[in-house]
Amino acid sequence: MAALLELTDVSVRFGGLTAVDNVSLSVAAGEVCALIGPNGAGKTTLFNAVSGNAVINSGAIRFQGEEIHRLTPHQISAKGVRRTFQNGGLFAHLTALENVLVGLHTRVDSSFLGLLASAPASRRAESAATARARELLDLMQVGHVADNLASDLSGGQQRMVEIVRALATEPPLLLLDEPAVGLAPHMREQLGQIIRRLAGERGIGILLIEHAIELVMNVSDRVVVLNYGKKVADAPPAQVRADKAVLEAYLGHA
Amino acid sequence: MTDIAKKESLPAGGRSRSRIGRSVFWLIPILLLPVPLFLDQYRQYVVNLILVYVPVGIGFNIVVGNLGLLAFSNVAFFGIGAYTSGVLALKLGLPWWATVLPAGIMGALAGSAASVPALRGVRLFYLAIMTLAFGELLRWVYIRWVPVTGGSFGMAVPKPSVFGLPLLTEGHKFYAFLFLVVLMVILTNRLLRSRFGRAFMAIKSNEQAAAAMGIPTDRYILLAFAWGGFVVGIGGSMYAALVGHVTPIAFDLTELILEFAIIMVGGLGSLVGSVLGAIVITSAPEFFRNWLGFQELLFGVLIVVVILFLPRGLASLLARLHPIFVDRYYRD
Ligand SMILES: Nc1ncnc2c1ncn2[C@@H]1O[C@H](COP(=O)(O)OP(=O)(O)OP(=O)(O)O)[C@@H](O)[C@H]1O
Ligand SMILES: [Mg+2]
Repeated sequence: MAALLELTDVSVRFGGLTAVDNVSLSVAAGEVCALIGPNGAGKTTLFNAVSGNAVINSGAIRFQGEEIHRLTPHQISAKGVRRTFQNGGLFAHLTALENVLVGLHTRVDSSFLGLLASAPASRRAESAATARARELLDLMQVGHVADNLASDLSGGQQRMVEIVRALATEPPLLLLDEPAVGLAPHMREQLGQIIRRLAGERGIGILLIEHAIELVMNVSDRVVVLNYGKKVADAPPAQVRADKAVLEAYLGHA
Repeated sequence: MTDIAKKESLPAGGRSRSRIGRSVFWLIPILLLPVPLFLDQYRQYVVNLILVYVPVGIGFNIVVGNLGLLAFSNVAFFGIGAYTSGVLALKLGLPWWATVLPAGIMGALAGSAASVPALRGVRLFYLAIMTLAFGELLRWVYIRWVPVTGGSFGMAVPKPSVFGLPLLTEGHKFYAFLFLVVLMVILTNRLLRSRFGRAFMAIKSNEQAAAAMGIPTDRYILLAFAWGGFVVGIGGSMYAALVGHVTPIAFDLTELILEFAIIMVGGLGSLVGSVLGAIVITSAPEFFRNWLGFQELLFGVLIVVVILFLPRGLASLLARLHPIFVDRYYRD
């Protein structure tokens, strides 16, 4: 089976620092692949490379068999790669609902002139998108805060809304950068279930950066470990847990 | 079952209520129709001047308030609109009404040109100074291109007319201007309440995340500048018709600061705010006329007081009065 996402010998350098060093990895449809490693290991930089926010110095990134590493972030996103941001990427000036509507942007079939003329087709597209966004928020149990400003939401609600926003178009590939930060234990559990269901029922490929190790162990099919930008392990969770190189990577930094 | 039904009907009810609420806005232009009956020529002139500054504020606010870019090229769009209208009327003998759309289009082209630094990634103070320079560059053109613009002394613009009917009095101009202002408010409102307006606000909040949602940010930055320039350019054509004389000095830095005051006092990112700002900033000097020698001081104090006590502008005051005044993207 062809991989959904495939990185071949990818390196990203910032001046003298090699943040991602010759990394190859792949994610299949319906697979949850965790990306772990100590702080500064290059996990977020790898996400940035995939989403087009960081330029790669060598190697290749393919999505659904097509090279994407020369595309701009919005082109990559339009192809079906969606992500969340480690520091929270919600639009603070917009409500939860409007944030999800921006997630649906490429699916709202309203045109500039159609909107100016208030053409029925454009109006319908807008209200259909609004209904869909409300539905998605309800589904993830944050429907009650739909009309609150993003900046007024709790940390956990913000994480949830950001995930809803990334998922709104049902992208084939989802990149989650530390989604469990700031979540209460029961919400962490819920998040784990959501991740499993997205992969299992919808066949979405998920690349998950996470420090919460029990979550990683529970949800992932495979764990990739980065250390100083290099891949030091790529195996099922149980195996990675016992891996020497992994222990060293963490202990060496502790 | 009943629970679900309740949950479903709640947002729907909220939406339809706000629609009825919003249709109240139609009353405003209708109520304004008899205004010329009550005003002398001078007062009517001041009201017309307010109408000129409504689109000027609206266009400026789209770029600064909604898109969130510190671009100070607004006075350039205003000037281009006024000169386009004036030159077409004077040199080609076009009636005023036929110059309005070209003025808007030239404003949109100037807006597109002014967006180039922003598209190159220039932001904040660097963008501010580069866009200021753009306005000054155009002023240099107005002064130097004497055969077309009349140079430093400017040019007299022929009396405006609409479909063969001359706008003889300030009252006549009022109706033509009111029509254009209502049109610009409606069109801009439609735009801001759609995925386009959301894209502008997303770019203001977090450009990287906006792109990650599939928004081609460059295209939307260009669009915001172009639409802003279009609306302001139309304001420029109204200005030419109102004043009957277009000179470079009308589009200098002082003018720019005045326009900036409109959106700051009105409320950044708020369509209602642009209207309120235009009313207050344009009419305030008239109220201070009696305090000869203190006019500028009082004007300055007014601006400082409003911004000090209402940092989100007058729109925030109105929004507190009734929810229908809350712009979709305006947040107190
Ligand atoms: N834009 C940049 N310019 C220069 N250096 C950068 C840049 N982005 C990241 N780095 C550096 O690259 C290295 C990897 O950073 P990255 O953010 O990818 O780590 P991470 O694995 O996500 O860490 P964390 O777990 O703390 O989020 C770090 O040393 C960081 O300082
Ligand atoms: Mg990181």
